[in-house]
Amino acid sequence: MKKKKLQIGSSLYIALAFVFMYLPIVMMMIFSFNDSKSLTVWSGFSTRWYEALLTNNDVAEAVYYTLVVAVLATVISTFVGTITAIGLSKSRKVLKEIVLNLNDLPMLNPDIVTAIGLMLLFSSIGTEKGFMTMLLAHIAFCIPYVILNVMPKLRDLDPNVAEAAMDLGATPWQALWKVIVPQITPGILSGALIAFTMSIDDFVISYFVTGNGVKNISILVYSMSKRINPTINALSTIIVVIVTLVLVGVNVAPILKEKFGEHKIVKNVVSSKPVKYALAACIALLAFVVYDNRPNQVSATSSSADCTTLKVFNTGEYIAEDTRQRFEEEFGVQVVYDLFASNEEMYTRLLGGESYDVLVPSDYMVERLIQEDYLMNIDWSLIPNSEGLIESLTYREYDPGMSYAVPYFWGNVGIIYDSTVVDPEDVESLGWDIFHETKYAGDVYLYDSERDMFMVALKALGYSMNTADEDELQEAYEWLLQAMNTMDPVLITDEVIDNMIAGLKHIAVVYSGDATYMMSENENLVYYEPQQGTNSWIDSMVIPADSKCPILAHEWINYMLEEEIAYNNTVYVGYSSPIQSVFEEVSTDEEEGYGGISAYISREGYAKDEMFHYNEAQRKQLSELWTLVKAQ
Amino acid sequence: MRQLIQFRNIVKEFDGQLILKGLNLDIMENEFVTLLGPSGCGKTTLLRILGGFLEQTEGEVFFDGIEISNVPPYKREINTVFQRYALFPHMNVFDNIAFGLRIKKTDPAIIEQKVKKMLKLVNLEGYEKRAITQLSGGQQQRVAIARALVNEPMVLLLDEPLGALDQKLRKEMQIELKKIQKEVGITFIFVTHDQEEALTMSDKIVVMKDGEIQQIGSPTDIYNEPENEFVAKFIGESNIIDGIMLDDYRVVFFDQEFECVDYGFHDNESVDIVIRPEDIDIVEYDTGKFNGTIKSIMFKGVHWEIVVDTGIQDLVVHTTDYAEVGKEVGLSFFPEDIHVMSKMVAY
Repeated sequence: MKKKKLQIGSSLYIALAFVFMYLPIVMMMIFSFNDSKSLTVWSGFSTRWYEALLTNNDVAEAVYYTLVVAVLATVISTFVGTITAIGLSKSRKVLKEIVLNLNDLPMLNPDIVTAIGLMLLFSSIGTEKGFMTMLLAHIAFCIPYVILNVMPKLRDLDPNVAEAAMDLGATPWQALWKVIVPQITPGILSGALIAFTMSIDDFVISYFVTGNGVKNISILVYSMSKRINPTINALSTIIVVIVTLVLVGVNVAPILKEKFGEHKIVKNVVSSKPVKYALAACIALLAFVVYDNRPNQVSATSSSADCTTLKVFNTGEYIAEDTRQRFEEEFGVQVVYDLFASNEEMYTRLLGGESYDVLVPSDYMVERLIQEDYLMNIDWSLIPNSEGLIESLTYREYDPGMSYAVPYFWGNVGIIYDSTVVDPEDVESLGWDIFHETKYAGDVYLYDSERDMFMVALKALGYSMNTADEDELQEAYEWLLQAMNTMDPVLITDEVIDNMIAGLKHIAVVYSGDATYMMSENENLVYYEPQQGTNSWIDSMVIPADSKCPILAHEWINYMLEEEIAYNNTVYVGYSSPIQSVFEEVSTDEEEGYGGISAYISREGYAKDEMFHYNEAQRKQLSELWTLVKAQ
Repeated sequence: MRQLIQFRNIVKEFDGQLILKGLNLDIMENEFVTLLGPSGCGKTTLLRILGGFLEQTEGEVFFDGIEISNVPPYKREINTVFQRYALFPHMNVFDNIAFGLRIKKTDPAIIEQKVKKMLKLVNLEGYEKRAITQLSGGQQQRVAIARALVNEPMVLLLDEPLGALDQKLRKEMQIELKKIQKEVGITFIFVTHDQEEALTMSDKIVVMKDGEIQQIGSPTDIYNEPENEFVAKFIGESNIIDGIMLDDYRVVFFDQEFECVDYGFHDNESVDIVIRPEDIDIVEYDTGKFNGTIKSIMFKGVHWEIVVDTGIQDLVVHTTDYAEVGKEVGLSFFPEDIHVMSKMVAY
């Protein structure tokens, strides 16, 4: 009896362990078939993300780069690592020990150290970052794993086998190839396998050494963080299925072999010529498919442009899926499209020496870039579509002369709440002070960003959000402290979108564009911009002064303002369009656009609304205070 | 017989240490030569220089009259049986033996024929498909020999090939190796630290110590007429006694003058005298050349090993007769049993 109980206990334990490991993967696989964009709310079966996967250029490109880099890095690092290991095994003990210890170092080092080191190296020797730098980095961090795996196999080797082969007439190469390599093959294979997975997996190092629009899957997912696109689920599901099939194949093959007792059959089949040809054909086919799906290489030159490659730096998920491809086709050029996660990160990458033709920073960052002479004057004659811009978005304080920045999207920060749970009257009467209303304690999300939260506090207190007044900031700090202490809020960033749609909590601070999307997914949600005023922001397209293709950059900006393109972008992204006609159309069209969704029609021209100014001292102070708030 | 290999003034230095100190050696065709010496004497180094796996620091190696120092191992008409066999574990017996022939792109039919012949020679018929790991040490040994001989080399090098085998198997293989050498009729150069092995198999023994040759000779020469104390001690057990050579055929030790068969020393030269334990007979008290007391006795199977205290030095005697400890006895030997050697020069 007792034994049986014990057995149940241990099976349960194993079952729980497996659930813990596999449940997330199963969830991901299930949601890859979700009809809506949500990652947490099921709204029906669909294969749309798989279809999207086939048409999504970004994903196809990322898969292409990931695979090509992984395969090349694996092949090269396996070759180099194996040769090195063989050389080391014949070296003097002291040398061997030193090299092996040096070899361990990169593996023990945190990736970030390797990443920064490589980034600095590539920057200092002036290499243009991109495919080659990423490949070199991957080869570099894969080699130690190969050596580590090959070395023990070499240690087990009879010290004289190579000599024996040469003694029998083999040249050193023949000895290596016919005698050494076959015996250490298990080590080489496991080294190659680890190198391959390390390469496919890598984010940190790749992120720091890439550029020129070269992204692997993990970088793509990271830059999508604003709104994770479920095509990633579909992609991940496909990867999981392939890996599972390979694993099953590898594990079942020996069992089958044993069962049918014919060691020889499998061996003969594998080594028989037709099968070899078939295998080769499969590999060639795969290579062709991958090659065919590679980023479009455009050879044609457009008449109006000054070059064939345009480099754009934007946030992830901030453009309609086909916009870029359409531009490429129409203008016969190639668009290199890099992604950043925040204005600050974009700035750092520019400092790192990367050059672009078009950037899409926010207002305060535009101000900073202008101050620091980073930008080129816009030639408005090249942007006829700018006539359609909403007037109130032009000549704003960050670029009063309208000389550098062309509006891309705009919006405000506001409150989103579930009208079935939260009384609209409370929100409208309290405004930002709803985050002090203990009736809703435990039911609120605050946005984990010092800039946005101090904006909320300062506006609630009736101050300017650009204030540098110590007392006002202290008051705002206390306001936030009170919110933290009495409201039990959850600090959150992009997950707010899914969690609010799912109705996990019912009040949150959000950007209007995100609210648009949330409201289109959950009709109980209501967006409100407090009378106390808010942050109204504009993201703009600017051209860096060192742009190599200023004319093409103007073409791109003009293209973004074209009605049809602007329409597609705004509908896809959910943020308000800067083009008057498009804005009007989308805000009234309930079928295709966002008609009836208040968040799309952000308030503009309201006296208490403000824009952030670039002020590094204030930002630092806010950041310190915010850390103190969070520490409570 | 003609000279096949000549080592001329071979010096080998490793990390500032002299492993071979200017060594000269000639090896004839069809000889079974053994390089014998304790570990670290340079015998394996010399073999590896001949195989092409090491390059000498100084000196020349002639093979069939041609200097071969710059010829890579895979172009030398020499094959080696390595200490731990160095068989290729990822191939079966047939593939191992066929390796050299396949490298030379020999016709498969001929390979088949030659490998079969070799398997027969080393007594492994029917083992073609066996995996190396399924073979015993002795069988692996035979495969290693077959793998080397199938290439029909002019010389076969064997680097302590029997070291890993047990006593009985080793004895069998000694006989078999000698038989194989006679059958194929080529030069075997055999490295060992086992003097018994050397005495059993060799046509010629080269005794080495500290990178130098101590003595070259036939097994009987080496055994019976060791040239110095080291050789005498290394080749079997010996009683070595300080003595003085009065003149030809007369030697003094144990304060007595003895007749001997040695000559050619300086008058009154200090010498080492070797008397093999089996050459001494135990006789009745006062009937031998001198007297002694039985100190200990130990059974060794075929003979007794008896230590006799002569008052000056203990002597070891091998005899089939039992003697009681403490008994006073006489010791006797013939003049030809006295081997006179020059004192070793200390380096």
